[in-house]
Amino acid sequence: MKESGAHGSPYLLIWIYLVVLALASVAASIVLPKVPAELAIYFLALVKAALVAMYFMHLKVERFFIHSLSLIPLALVLVLFLGVLQDVVFNR
Amino acid sequence: MSTAAHASAGAAESTPFPSAKLGIWWFLASEIMVFGGLIVSYLLFRMAGPGWSAELHHNSTLLGTVNTLVLLTSSFTMVEVHRAHGRGEEAKFRLHLALTILLGLVFLAIKGAEYTAHIREGLVPAKSMFWAFYFGMTGLHGLHVLGGIVANACLYAVAARPGGVARYGHRAEMNGLYWHFVDVVWIFLFPLLYLG
Repeated sequence: MKESGAHGSPYLLIWIYLVVLALASVAASIVLPKVPAELAIYFLALVKAALVAMYFMHLKVERFFIHSLSLIPLALVLVLFLGVLQDVVFNR
Repeated sequence: MSTAAHASAGAAESTPFPSAKLGIWWFLASEIMVFGGLIVSYLLFRMAGPGWSAELHHNSTLLGTVNTLVLLTSSFTMVEVHRAHGRGEEAKFRLHLALTILLGLVFLAIKGAEYTAHIREGLVPAKSMFWAFYFGMTGLHGLHVLGGIVANACLYAVAARPGGVARYGHRAEMNGLYWHFVDVVWIFLFPLLYLG
């Protein structure tokens, strides 16, 4: 991430985004109906996690190998979810 | 130099990443599986059985939000520690590291207050599947926060020595990667256990 100046932190803007998104997810859970609220808060959680990973954990400038170390376990978790999901759906 | 030493030096030269960084990312990969498995199990149980939303409303959205802001802010101070090391700012390094430790302690104190209130109301892990998941996931996450505080306190102790930041400051990147991961886990636990 580029330095925004001699004294200004480039990470301050990311922190402000994170705070705004956190407050937006709380507002969405209060204001919106159940299903749109759930979609909104989980989408906002994904955006917040991506901001932390990309900028604070510097994944934005990391190489493919480090990316794969974080993405392969996520893919395995997704396989676990989809594998058991059918059991949940069809055995209600 | 012995053959083994030559082989070791050769391996180090051919590895494009510092060993510590590679090690922490392997560790985080295993942690993604641990927390990912828990979160997926929680979601599937929740989809399979009704009534979880009612249980969820026992949690204080206010305290959950405050704790989220505390942890997000601690991630900012932690990344500032790493930045201060890169810029050779020793005082800023120690200040932000101390703030990160303090914010971690605030997070645990709030979580402790929440646990106390729940237990007094009889909302214990044996009460229902929701509370078993709640205490299991937040408890494991809390232990990780505690581990991060200890790691940061150790770094602070060596960084406080004369020349400590120059010698040990590079460790802030590893501590930071772990701390930000703990933050990411909470980013998902918050909507799952307080808002959803």
